[in-house]
Amino acid sequence: MKQTDKEETVISVSDLYKIYKLGQERVPALRGVSFEVKRGTFCAIVGTSGSGKSTLLNMLAGLEPPTKGEVIVAGEHMEHKRENQLVAFRRKHVGFIFQAYNLIPSLNALENVALPLSFRGVRKSVRIRAADRYLDLVGLQKYKKHRPNEMSGGQQQRVGMARALVCDPEIIYADEPTGNLDSNTSEEMMNLMRNIVHERGCTLVMVTHDNHLASYADQVVRIQDGKVKEITTGEALRERMEAMEKAVAGQV
Amino acid sequence: MNFIDMLEMSVTNLRKRKLRTALTVLGVVIGVASIVIMMSIGIALKVSMMEEIQQYGSLTNIEVNAPYQAEGTKEADIKRLDDELIETLSALDYVKYVSPRLDMSVQIAVGKYTGYPTLCGVSKEYLQDLNINVGEGALPTGEGSELEVFFGNMCLVQFYDKQFQGYWDTGEVPAIDLMNDNLYYTFSDETPVMDDNGNVIRKPKRYQFQTAGVAAGSIDEYHQYSYQAYCDIDQLKAFLQKAYHGRAIPGQPTTKKGKPYKEIYYSSLVVSCDDMEHVQEVATIIKDMGYNAYSDTEWIESNQKTANMIQMVLGGIGAISLLVAAIGIMNTMMMSIYERTKEIGVMKVLGCDMRNIQMMFLIEAAVIGFGGGVIGIIFSYLVSFALNGIATGAASDMGMSKLSVIPPWLALAGIAFAVVVGMVAGFFPSRRAMRLSPLAAIRND
Ligand SMILES: Nc1ncnc2c1ncn2[C@@H]1O[C@H](COP(=O)(O)OP(=O)(O)OP(=O)(O)O)[C@@H](O)[C@H]1O
Ligand SMILES: [Mg+2]
Repeated sequence: MKQTDKEETVISVSDLYKIYKLGQERVPALRGVSFEVKRGTFCAIVGTSGSGKSTLLNMLAGLEPPTKGEVIVAGEHMEHKRENQLVAFRRKHVGFIFQAYNLIPSLNALENVALPLSFRGVRKSVRIRAADRYLDLVGLQKYKKHRPNEMSGGQQQRVGMARALVCDPEIIYADEPTGNLDSNTSEEMMNLMRNIVHERGCTLVMVTHDNHLASYADQVVRIQDGKVKEITTGEALRERMEAMEKAVAGQV
Repeated sequence: MNFIDMLEMSVTNLRKRKLRTALTVLGVVIGVASIVIMMSIGIALKVSMMEEIQQYGSLTNIEVNAPYQAEGTKEADIKRLDDELIETLSALDYVKYVSPRLDMSVQIAVGKYTGYPTLCGVSKEYLQDLNINVGEGALPTGEGSELEVFFGNMCLVQFYDKQFQGYWDTGEVPAIDLMNDNLYYTFSDETPVMDDNGNVIRKPKRYQFQTAGVAAGSIDEYHQYSYQAYCDIDQLKAFLQKAYHGRAIPGQPTTKKGKPYKEIYYSSLVVSCDDMEHVQEVATIIKDMGYNAYSDTEWIESNQKTANMIQMVLGGIGAISLLVAAIGIMNTMMMSIYERTKEIGVMKVLGCDMRNIQMMFLIEAAVIGFGGGVIGIIFSYLVSFALNGIATGAASDMGMSKLSVIPPWLALAGIAFAVVVGMVAGFFPSRRAMRLSPLAAIRND
């Protein structure tokens, strides 16, 4: 069982810079970002398009090296690792949910969910059983033998969730996981994600541009022009939004 | 990730693109088949060469002859082939045995025919090693006091009738039963003894010997033993010493005064070595001792070199098509990686080890190579079978019993080579796959 001590810091970012070079031009995507995420919490990174959310998440997952600054995840410095060490780190600690689902087209739902376990060298019978359980958990009992192109977007994203969960990771990263889904399905997904994460005590970091979805989170990190504009709670965000809605309604 | 999982992934990917995989495999099939078939022709050439060589003599034997002795060489310096030399040579390394050989020219009168074969006295071991296929009777045992003669299957070629017409002239096999007819032998080198007036006082004597057996085979079937009549050396010596007691034995050297030596000297010696590898070495030692030594190895070696070169050239021609197939594999792999850039990125994000990714693509290339190799070998056997069936005429014209021979090692080597070629062709693409950025998975395009 994982430690669910709320005070333990699992992600720590300090003074993080990312500057892309496009020919002679320097494009600063992140300009000195610092924040912390406690273990077992749901953290939303929110901001307008082009603000640098994805860049930040990629750096947390070790998919890109930072230009400057520190990223410490689960006690390990990401910025000093070589590529194969980063892969090994992700294999051990991280689950990932993509906006475009990114299921392997040639594999059915069960095999897709089992895939990360095969990277860990888990025996086939064992991993298929685990995959089976996680598909039940996300409510896809009927679709286990379906291939990605035989499922709706919402169903595919549930498979993606099960795939992220199957390794029982410490941290799950999700970049716009509901970006391709309609608002009802998105809300279903958000509830499901929040519940599962809280039940299992793992940490979820989700990128979104939608304030409403961000309000499901325990912690909200707002990014603007590559900087942290504010750090608040989902609850506070929700209250503020409701107040604004009322104000708008009042004006009308 | 364990090997079976990687193999499964690779095969799944290959099966997803059936037509492309089939075409790539077809390239390898053609490549492997052309190498193997070309090599098989070279091998068939080599096999028939060896068969031919074996027909002409044993590959491990050295024939030793006395060197030419100039007139007036001192008695002590004359090199002769005697029992002492046999002992010396037997003691050399790598020598299995040394057989003397005493050739006697004989005339055999039977009915209206007269034959002129050579009667060779040899040791039992040598006679055994000739691998004679006995037709009638048996090989001379060498036991007992009576001389026994064994005839090669072409001896009758050397018999002529009263008009001096033989088999080559008439095309008819002389009506002689070597086993049962009465054969009257005279030694051709025995000169009639004359008195001072030139009157013959003693004609060469006629002898009768037991026929031990005759070699199997038709009169046209050549083996190294076909023309000779063989007998045991000890029996021959015993007979000669008794029959010519105190006189010169026909064909033997005499002293300057025309007197016979005590000992009988041999016409040649056959030194049998334990292995073809050592023949050359032993022959050199014997030559250094001042004798003539002749073996087939030099001839065989130059023949083999030629055969190897022909095989190489043929194989090289075939290799070009495998090279084309390798480029095909590389192309297919590059295409597959290009299409699966996103998939590979996803796997990297999900923590698939980079070496596993490389391995998966290498296995994919190896599977293509293996599939192509196996089918290519099957195809090669079919073609080889067809070649041997259709082209028997052409093969025998070239003195070959078969046009194409695929030994098991060639089949296995062909498959192994195809796998290696596949992996070499797949190496560069696989490394590229390994180095693809995981960010490809994130981008939405
Ligand atoms: N590979 C790159 N090369 C150059 N510039 C880049 C690269 N990736 C991102 N950027 C720039 O960095 C900035 C931040 O990009 P990022 O993708 O993090 O935005 P985002 O907040 O995720 O936006 P969205 O909500 O549209 O996904 C943008 O101005 C973008 O143009
Ligand atoms: Mg983004």
